[in-house]
Amino acid sequence: MFDLIFRSMTQRKMRTGLTIFGIALGIFAVVVMGGMSEHMNLVVDKSLKLLANNIQVEPDGTFGGIGTLDDSKIRQVKRVPGVSDAYGVLVTSLDPESAGGGFTGGDMVFGVLPERQMKDALLTSGRYLMPGDGYKAVVGSSIARKYNLKVGDELEMKSKRLQRTSSITNTRNVSVVGILEYTGSMFDSSVQIPLDRAQKFYKMENIVSFIYAEYTPGSDPSEIARRIDLSVDKVKSKSPEQLRKEIEGNLMIFGLITISAAVLAAIIGGLSVMNTMLMSVSERTKEFGLLKALGAERKNILFMTMGEAAIMGVVGGISGIVAGGIVTHLLNKSFEAQGSALFAITPRLVVIGLLFAISLGVICGTYPAYRATKMSPMEALRYE
Amino acid sequence: MNNNGNIGENGNIESVPILRIRNLKKTYMQGKIPVPALDGVSFDVNKGELLSIVGPSGSGKSTLLSMIGLLDRPTDGSVFIDDVEITKSKENEAPRIRREKIGFVFQHFNLLSTLTAMENVDIAMRFTGTSKNRRKERALELLTMVGLGDRVKHKPSELSGGQQQRVAIARALANSPAIILADEPTGAVDTKTREVIVDLLKGLSEKGQTIIVVTHDMDVARQTDRIIMMRDGAIASDTGVTGNEEKGF
Repeated sequence: MFDLIFRSMTQRKMRTGLTIFGIALGIFAVVVMGGMSEHMNLVVDKSLKLLANNIQVEPDGTFGGIGTLDDSKIRQVKRVPGVSDAYGVLVTSLDPESAGGGFTGGDMVFGVLPERQMKDALLTSGRYLMPGDGYKAVVGSSIARKYNLKVGDELEMKSKRLQRTSSITNTRNVSVVGILEYTGSMFDSSVQIPLDRAQKFYKMENIVSFIYAEYTPGSDPSEIARRIDLSVDKVKSKSPEQLRKEIEGNLMIFGLITISAAVLAAIIGGLSVMNTMLMSVSERTKEFGLLKALGAERKNILFMTMGEAAIMGVVGGISGIVAGGIVTHLLNKSFEAQGSALFAITPRLVVIGLLFAISLGVICGTYPAYRATKMSPMEALRYE
Repeated sequence: MNNNGNIGENGNIESVPILRIRNLKKTYMQGKIPVPALDGVSFDVNKGELLSIVGPSGSGKSTLLSMIGLLDRPTDGSVFIDDVEITKSKENEAPRIRREKIGFVFQHFNLLSTLTAMENVDIAMRFTGTSKNRRKERALELLTMVGLGDRVKHKPSELSGGQQQRVAIARALANSPAIILADEPTGAVDTKTREVIVDLLKGLSEKGQTIIVVTHDMDVARQTDRIIMMRDGAIASDTGVTGNEEKGF
């Protein structure tokens, strides 16, 4: 039967080609958009894992951005019952002239207490920061690649401050003492330097961006977060759970927007399959009538028409996935120079793309196929 | 009873009727007005008979053919093929009956233009579960029999009208059907080709193949064993037959 399907498809090469192209384009959109969304998911997921299980305290009223907190708040947080320890982190942009920051883009400087350094991200070479380190830095894998850094190399930091009408840019070299392995998280684009040096260099003495509060084992982190909010002025605390939920919520919206655009494109591809199949079926009225007169059963005719639609779906789907894979790979390669990737083509995404293409083909082929089986052999054959 | 397929003489009273039609009626609805197309038709056809059905347009001959071929259902009455009442079959049994009992030949040949002569014959056997090799063998055998052994790889567009119709006849024979139904088989070919087709049908009939031909062409009809003349949905005359009426009722 497949030979008949292929013959029907190759007989109308142009139309078959256009239909397959339509599906491929739709699936291409699904793969590219989905790949973007998947990449975000992966980064956030890994970042959250590395962020350990601390309560994050940020200034009240900052929405997603990075605010400032006075050092004194750390002491206040520490006094809250259930909090075993608290420390500040200062987050700034490595290059203030380039936009970015946050979880997904931009290279960031983390001013951290050496003794409070996160050690979940392992080193590929060198060492972590130590108490007493001066302008020393542990850099993420993307930073190391982007600036071609080895242990012992120097990295230039910039700070920019607006003063009246002019801006003053300071630069300063730090020497790299350690390079982190690739984690797929925001730490890949991070430069960690001792907190005191960061505060000094950025002229932000006694200021931190976030406070991380450790809680005593066995206590409820969301309860403690609430307590911190009540006892410390003008801060907003988030338990690891809340943080995860909030970020996942933001991601979901982003995912929804990208995915629905992609699905729309794919549905248009599906409609083109339907259109092609309807045309093909009405053109082949006689053929189906004849096959019925020759004793073809409904299932034979369904198989021929649905098969054609499904094959167009599969071929279109695979082409779309391959094209999407190539394009995202190339884009990632070109972004890699800047140390960051944008797309992640996960196996899950490939499977979804393929299933979507096939079901589009089959669903949109169903009605035309049904029409084909309804052909009366009499009607089909009587008149030329 | 005599079940020898090679008798062929029309009117042989001892032959087994391969097709029995009893009081067949078909009424079409034109809006709300019933239009009778067949009004109580009964006759028998014996194995190996070459029978023509003639009559003016609208006399019901094509309707009759589609009832026998199970392409359409009668309003009333029965059709028996090999003593099986096919008009009582279920809708999902119809394809099997068409495959096994009926071979169609059409005025416009209705070959699939993308397939070769061989494949056009082959396709009739695809739905029967015959193995690929067996189908090929059979298709070649039939095409050789209709004189197209050297044309098996040709597409319909590369064949003359007569050749195309011979491919169609080979296709109709593919599943060894009880009856071949030919709807104006010479309607689209010239007179010379017409004789080739009629001779072919006659030859098949002599070998025991039952064939019913619907035609306008009295020159064709005269060459058949028996002529049924239809008028206004009923049989006006039935030549060369004795005793069908008595036997049937």
